[in-house]
Amino acid sequence: MNSGIDLQGSFIQTLTEFGLPHDLARAFWIPLPMILVVIGAVVGVLVTVWLERKVSAAAQQRIGPEFAGPLGVLQPVADGLKLVFKEDLVPNKADPWLFTLGPVLVVIPVILSYLIVPFGQNLLITDLNVGIFLWISLSSIAPIGLLMAGYSSNNKYSLLGGLRAAAQSISYEIPLALAVLAVVMMSNSLSTIDIVEQQSGYGILGWNIWRQPVGFLIFWIAALAECERLPFDLPEAEEEIVAGYQTEYSGMRFALFYVGSYINLVLSALIVAILYLGGWEFPIPLDQLAGWLGVSETTPWLQVTTASLGIIMTILKAYLLVFLAVLLRWTLPRVRIDQLLDLGWKFLLPVALVNLLLTAALKLVFPFAFGG
Amino acid sequence: MFNFLKQVGDYAKDAAQAAKYIGQGLSVTFDHMQRRPVTVQYPYEKLIPSERYRGRIHYEFDKCISCEVCVRVCPINLPIVDWEFDKATKKKKLNHYSIDFGVCIFCGNCVEYCPTNCLSMTEEYELAAYDRHELNYDSVALGRLPYKVTQDPMVTALREFAYLPKGEMDPHDLPPDAQRAGQRPEELVKALQKEAAAQAKPEES
Repeated sequence: MNSGIDLQGSFIQTLTEFGLPHDLARAFWIPLPMILVVIGAVVGVLVTVWLERKVSAAAQQRIGPEFAGPLGVLQPVADGLKLVFKEDLVPNKADPWLFTLGPVLVVIPVILSYLIVPFGQNLLITDLNVGIFLWISLSSIAPIGLLMAGYSSNNKYSLLGGLRAAAQSISYEIPLALAVLAVVMMSNSLSTIDIVEQQSGYGILGWNIWRQPVGFLIFWIAALAECERLPFDLPEAEEEIVAGYQTEYSGMRFALFYVGSYINLVLSALIVAILYLGGWEFPIPLDQLAGWLGVSETTPWLQVTTASLGIIMTILKAYLLVFLAVLLRWTLPRVRIDQLLDLGWKFLLPVALVNLLLTAALKLVFPFAFGG
Repeated sequence: MFNFLKQVGDYAKDAAQAAKYIGQGLSVTFDHMQRRPVTVQYPYEKLIPSERYRGRIHYEFDKCISCEVCVRVCPINLPIVDWEFDKATKKKKLNHYSIDFGVCIFCGNCVEYCPTNCLSMTEEYELAAYDRHELNYDSVALGRLPYKVTQDPMVTALREFAYLPKGEMDPHDLPPDAQRAGQRPEELVKALQKEAAAQAKPEES
């Protein structure tokens, strides 16, 4: 099977042809995708903030941001700039070290998780063989940061918010991991590349959502809870506990929380797209289409087209899910903390376990359809 | 065993029902996305206040007879009528009159009961001030007439919902002569007059 464009290979090859040693060429390559992904993540946040404000406005028959740039696209930039120039406040009796470390500890794992998000066959930073597991383990660092932020603020609302965030993240990590496990069992690999590869070949019919509809729902609900999106935004429920763990934060530190939550939302949407919606795959299998049309797989223009189409498809799927999350935000009321824990432990966990067992059974019975 | 299965079945039914309701809710939210926004871009667009709008009170100093009825009907005795008895003419002489719009609730009782109609309601509602004492209007300030939104070149005047033609939901881009739903007061008067004339004729003959 042809692997499409290999940017890293070609880049290193070009540099070695100029007479650089191979290791040095590799060292030159390493920062490029990292910078690209960080920029991509930040731009993704701006787009998501704008999209959220516009979609929210449309759902409420308002217009939303309109004057900052065409259709208000510069509004998130303006918001961000405002936060950057605000005074850097630390409350008098707060613990300054933990207070600073909290938001950093929330943002870094989220950005680090982009390590394993593939936008194409070779378009990701590292193809780890524990890829999706890395994401799960990194996402469980965030509650420590939230708890740290809540505790160090020396404010009862912050503490309550931090505790709620920790309880919520821990409860929903388990169904999330179990839902991922079912997918992993089908693709026999933890690598995100392999998971997408296993869904390829049949176009839209091969995507995991048809084989794992229950897993998809569980994963999406749990991912919303992990991102603290609305039906599950108890840690920052403004009617009850002001702003939760963010209460004492302002300026750049608050911006870190804000950016972190939106990057996390985009990341979760991307992971859902990869696990269940076929990642970079087009709804029609492109390889076969090219075969029928008699175009060779190694044709440069075909490779460039499929690669860019792959990036577009991944982002499109992710933003479709973000749109769904925004729509859900204005549809569902916030659950109470006991309802939240009930849903996590008494509903999602058993259903996820049954789903896992069922997947295992189906894999034994129909090895061709469930990845034998 | 069967009891357990029944419990599982009920549980699944509950979950399916919850999912159905969430789906219905989502479709409602989604349906709202295609509706036109109701936004009025305030400083650039303004709604035309209705004809019975109770805005800032207008006062005509020369008509006032200092009877203090407005003070008596006011829920909080707000209008301040400063008069003295002029012995020469044996009449009340009004010195000052003021209403504090920071306290007024715009109930309109004073306008209702004023025997000389020197008080009236305007359509002015933009009373923002930097100091609350600026809202204490004296007789000169009370005598000023507000600007009409329809005559302000900076403002696009929009009709309120009840003044739109039948079936129309959006006040933007209406033809200027589009009439609101139902008959206007003058049309009703005309119809009544015609009816009265028609009734009077057979009596004559």
